[in-house]
Amino acid sequence: MNKPFDPAVRDFLDGRIWLRQHTPFSMEIINEHIESGMIETTAGVTMKKGLFGQISCKCARCENEDPQLFTSFNCLQCEGPCAYCRNCLQMGRVSVCTELIVWKGPPTNYPTEHSLAWEGTLTKHQKRASEELYESTVRARPHLIHAVCGSGKTEILFEPIHKLLVAGKRICIAAPRVDVILELEPRLRAAFPSTKLEALYGGADVKAFDAQLILATTHQLYRFRHAFDAIFVDEADAFPYTAEKTLQHAVRKAAKSAAPIHFVTATPSDKLLTDIKKTGAVSTIYRRYHGHPLPGPRYEPLWNYSKQLSKGKIPKALENWIIQRLDLNEPFLVFFHEIELMMKAEQAIRQLDDRVRAVHSAHPDRKQHVQDLRAGKIPGLLTTTILERGITINNIQVAVVGAEQSIFDAGALVQIGGRVGRNVNHPSGDFVLFHNGISYAMDHARREIKRLNAGGDQP
Amino acid sequence: MNPCLLCMKPISEVASWQSFFALEKKKTLCDDCSKRFVRADIKEEGDVLDAVHSLYEYDEAMRDWLHQYKFMQDVALAQVFSNELRRAFSSNDTIVPIPMHPERARIRTFAHVEKLLDGSKRPYVQLLTKTNTSVMGEKSRHERLNVEHLFELVPGAVVQPITYRLVDDIYTTGTTLRQAATVLKQAGASRVEAVTLIRSIQK
Repeated sequence: MNKPFDPAVRDFLDGRIWLRQHTPFSMEIINEHIESGMIETTAGVTMKKGLFGQISCKCARCENEDPQLFTSFNCLQCEGPCAYCRNCLQMGRVSVCTELIVWKGPPTNYPTEHSLAWEGTLTKHQKRASEELYESTVRARPHLIHAVCGSGKTEILFEPIHKLLVAGKRICIAAPRVDVILELEPRLRAAFPSTKLEALYGGADVKAFDAQLILATTHQLYRFRHAFDAIFVDEADAFPYTAEKTLQHAVRKAAKSAAPIHFVTATPSDKLLTDIKKTGAVSTIYRRYHGHPLPGPRYEPLWNYSKQLSKGKIPKALENWIIQRLDLNEPFLVFFHEIELMMKAEQAIRQLDDRVRAVHSAHPDRKQHVQDLRAGKIPGLLTTTILERGITINNIQVAVVGAEQSIFDAGALVQIGGRVGRNVNHPSGDFVLFHNGISYAMDHARREIKRLNAGGDQP
Repeated sequence: MNPCLLCMKPISEVASWQSFFALEKKKTLCDDCSKRFVRADIKEEGDVLDAVHSLYEYDEAMRDWLHQYKFMQDVALAQVFSNELRRAFSSNDTIVPIPMHPERARIRTFAHVEKLLDGSKRPYVQLLTKTNTSVMGEKSRHERLNVEHLFELVPGAVVQPITYRLVDDIYTTGTTLRQAATVLKQAGASRVEAVTLIRSIQK
């Protein structure tokens, strides 16, 4: 059983499920490994006829089975009826006649020497959560870290991850959003300087084939299979992870069969809480790392704001709030529920200060504008919910325009409020909800913040 | 209800008598996505090629669509412009799609121009074949203008002295369409017009 193989091919394919036609290796090398039994091929999409002749498909890469997300056509390649998966199309089309490959040879052995270079100290709450998380990892049960915004969630993960790496385990930190991955990458690189680490997101190529610690958007996990000994899902309640079943499948598929999947979030959904309480453990942290309470929301009516804004007028209360921020030289974020309205507001607000900008998910300069705000080059940003989490800016003040809109559910409002007062030197700030009528979600968010500040007791 | 083909969000549709009796074709795009495509209707005239009608300009939205359709091989996107393409023809037009080389079509797994016409439910006749596997999109402007003999007639094809309407996805320098028109005219076509989905204007 000592067949020769190329270690680079093993490192790349071990734990992955990949298109046969699109590997970083030549066709000859891949073919040789298939012949020697090191690589196994599977059909990309399996088509089955049901009891009544209806066709059902399943994608082997993303495990999508939704008939709406398959298109069948007459294929010139396999010269017959074929179907492809539209759910994971962006990673290269997978159809009935496409072949996917998986590694069947001996697995990669990962190094067991890793240093943890983080020199901060954990608060006693963080330390307890960190120990509980490691305990769960050893016992292979899922664990939820439910910690308020600004309590230092990432630092809690360092100790358990380090211990797993030293045991030669392969680890993944996944998040539904690219922004979160981009924010995490430099912090983890600094904390684990001797570990092979890679960040994977749409548009990033696989460079370090044998990375032991992988940061990835949940979408990227479609391309992994039985790869990880533990997965930490950060911001587990963010869109689209909760909305798309296939992403949850993808995380499960990327983990080895007995490997635990842990969740980290400030605003777990009721479903996540009840699910995890059945099979796993929960650590809750109610205090921010600096010990100050979360800033509670302030309600301010802004009647008919959408009518005024679409006419290019800024409602008085909002105008005063922005002028005040500009006078006091405080950076600010204004959240909107809709891009079109935000763009109208941007024009009007730029009459007050021309440096103000607006960002949304499809905005080309979105990363740059956030950096400019952090560097103090621009006084404030208008944004959609894309900046509701993961962003830390010193002394930031936050307003929500149209807080009664359904996109701002209680979780989103708690997250938005969590942007305020994250720094020791500026532990509080203004968190104002401009509304056209108070919604249940607003009250729910206010109650939740009160409850957390009271130490988790029922208010 | 099927989701939007481009952004995957659910499409909101207003129930009407037309939709109830299936007189109205189901929408394939949501309102936000369909708003991105603006009709340009560019019409040009020439000698070899008597007239060209291009439905859209080559803008960002079109570039994304074409990329996803042709290079990501998303066959489903052939449906997006089916209504527009159907209305660009009348029922007695003789439609001739620009062919792909069979080898290239096999690699792509579908012939993109024919799939567009299939979506629009217009019948067509394939009178031409491509003689080589060269790809226009990979050539420079100068090379494109100087290629010769791209097409020939399908063996046994009969060309009548009538008007033929060629169809292609994109019209850039016009070499492809002019060469196809030349072959048809030499075989006896009295007039050759063309309809392309996109007009790319070179700067």
